Amino acid sequence: MWPVIVLLAGPVLAGLLSLVIQRPRLLHAVNFTTMLALALAETFLTGQVLAEGSVTTLGTLVYVDALSDFILIIITTIGLSCSLYMWSYMDEQVARGVIAPKHLGVFFFLFHMFLFAMVAATMANSLGVQWVAVEGTTLATTFLIAFFRRRESLEAGWKYLILCSVGIALALFGVVLTYYSSVRVLGDASSALNVTALIGVADRLDPNVLKLAFLFILVGYGTKVGLVPMHTWLPDAYTEAPAPVAAMLAGVLETVAVYTVLRSKALVDQALPPQFTGNLLLTFGFVSFVVASLFILLQHNYKRLFAYSSIEHMGLAMVGFGVGGLVGTFGGLFHLLNHALAKALAFFAAGNIHRRYDSLEIDQVRGLARSQPITAVATLVAGFALVGLPPFSPFVSELLVVSALSAQNFASDTMHVGRFVAVTVSDEMRSLGLVGVFLFFGVVLFGGMMARIGAMVWGAPQDKITRGEAWTVGHVPVLAMIVALLVLSVMIPESLRTLVTRAVHVIVVR
Amino acid sequence: MSESTQLGSQLVDLCSVLLLLSCFAIVAQRRLSACVDLFALQSFFLATTAALVAFLTGHRHIYLAAALTVVIKVIVLPRILRKVIERLNVSRELVMNINIPAGLLICGGLVVVAFFITQPIIPLGYLLTRDSLALALAIILIGLFTMIARKKAVTQMVGFLVMENGVFLGTTAAAYGMPLIVELGVFFDVLVAGLIAGIYTHRLQDAFDSVDTSELTVLKE
Repeated sequence: MWPVIVLLAGPVLAGLLSLVIQRPRLLHAVNFTTMLALALAETFLTGQVLAEGSVTTLGTLVYVDALSDFILIIITTIGLSCSLYMWSYMDEQVARGVIAPKHLGVFFFLFHMFLFAMVAATMANSLGVQWVAVEGTTLATTFLIAFFRRRESLEAGWKYLILCSVGIALALFGVVLTYYSSVRVLGDASSALNVTALIGVADRLDPNVLKLAFLFILVGYGTKVGLVPMHTWLPDAYTEAPAPVAAMLAGVLETVAVYTVLRSKALVDQALPPQFTGNLLLTFGFVSFVVASLFILLQHNYKRLFAYSSIEHMGLAMVGFGVGGLVGTFGGLFHLLNHALAKALAFFAAGNIHRRYDSLEIDQVRGLARSQPITAVATLVAGFALVGLPPFSPFVSELLVVSALSAQNFASDTMHVGRFVAVTVSDEMRSLGLVGVFLFFGVVLFGGMMARIGAMVWGAPQDKITRGEAWTVGHVPVLAMIVALLVLSVMIPESLRTLVTRAVHVIVVR
Repeated sequence: MSESTQLGSQLVDLCSVLLLLSCFAIVAQRRLSACVDLFALQSFFLATTAALVAFLTGHRHIYLAAALTVVIKVIVLPRILRKVIERLNVSRELVMNINIPAGLLICGGLVVVAFFITQPIIPLGYLLTRDSLALALAIILIGLFTMIARKKAVTQMVGFLVMENGVFLGTTAAAYGMPLIVELGVFFDVLVAGLIAGIYTHRLQDAFDSVDTSELTVLKE
């Protein structure tokens, strides 16, 4: 019980404290201590989940199973590294006069409210409370995106607020429809949206209502995931947000949004054949992947480049979930973690570059290797990881997703042996064709990304750029992430593997 | 069906239709302050519908939701929006993405679409509020349309609130309200969203000398 309380109360307390504390040092200390406490609590919670299967506490408000615990691991890990990175990043912004010292407290307040909303969305038992929390993330982050108060950032913040609010209103209608179907079966109005109550009766819910509900939920939360064509807010928001916020948005918020979709998928799949949700996710994922990889070719701003890469990776994870089965789902979940690490690393590096070169244009950045050696390595590693090169862990998860995609008809038919006869040559051709297109756009993406990152890293820096990179506390998470990406590519720790495997069984219900 | 339920059902239908009508009025209105007034009126109809359902079904907690609707959506949010308009230098929406007659036609089409989509699931509903679910979806779609068709930050906000009203009508109609904690959370979110939008219009006004979102074109591919 207490890890849950720490996870929920920690950010709220830290947020309120940030409003009263004046001294920057103390603010950072509070922030870091809170994140450390959250990470510790999460470790204990994971132990509990591994031992007991799931944890229901605080009445029935909180429900943590392997799936939500896995998402919590991503939240706390990226959150912890962000808190270290912010230490040097925010101090420098204050020193340069970009933000007034008194605004630092507000920044941390919003940051912790954002964190609280994400933790609450992940732990919520009721789909309704989950919705409230996801809308809470929108409200908390819009001012974080617009924090530097430039014209562009205000525009990005407003666009984000409006588009995500619309999306989320549609998702609420989806939740209402879910309730419409479940209250008829469960009768008890107060628990009829609880995952714990729904799991048992989901197969008796009305399929027609659930179909409509899932469509609304997918489009609604899909807006937050940044699936094409609901993605238009995303590149602007990621470009304008301060680097640590962009890292949180890309690494964590997207993951939480995907999680909300997965929760509904797990329910709907019990009442309908998994092909229904599977095909929808596959289509949205595939389109996002293709469109994003084409847009990457057009980018001349490195933060936008990473933003489109986020859309592409979420598309890829969605393809994994859409194909489904044990391999595809495992690949998708593992990819969420890998993407979070790689993307946070990319935005940390982008933040370092931006502070040195004062420009977001790729053309203006030359000779990173000489001016900022550590950042250059980080940029290269992030780039390699994001295009799916070994020996970095996204390679492994992408390989899993692609192999699940290529074997999809076989995979689904070994699960439903009765349908084995129905496998035809055209089915095989279809999945191979899909893989072909997929890999083609993977190559497009590879070219687009690497050309631009290469252009930034090599060459000679302009004369006005100072050379050499002093060691700061902000470099600790950068190094840690490089190591994590390397290690996860060769081995997944036993407990993590067990957790993800169990999470897969939460999603794959038949 | 007994006579009293029939009467009740017709009353609920009447109120829901009034909600839908006020949507059309918003779409047809150019003056920003009138849009806000119409939204307040719509929220009042919503509260009446909710109170009516609460009275006819005996679900007490819907009264609470109705009261919150009156406080937040009839009084507080319109007041915030009116303050915002007062500070602005324009009170009318002169250029729209889609002109009013075309907009009204599209909204008519959206109502048909909403009835078409909800056709298969309506028979599951309670007798009392059956048709309101289709009307709720129609209101959501029209709210969405308003957000796309209008350019002023204020009208976009009104569009969002109209969508929210549609969802709320949906919950009342489909399931006699959501669990209390969810309903409170939703109200809280809507209120905060309104406040945030108010702050934004200030800052946008300062930065761009306008709250015309078509001026927001710095960020482009």
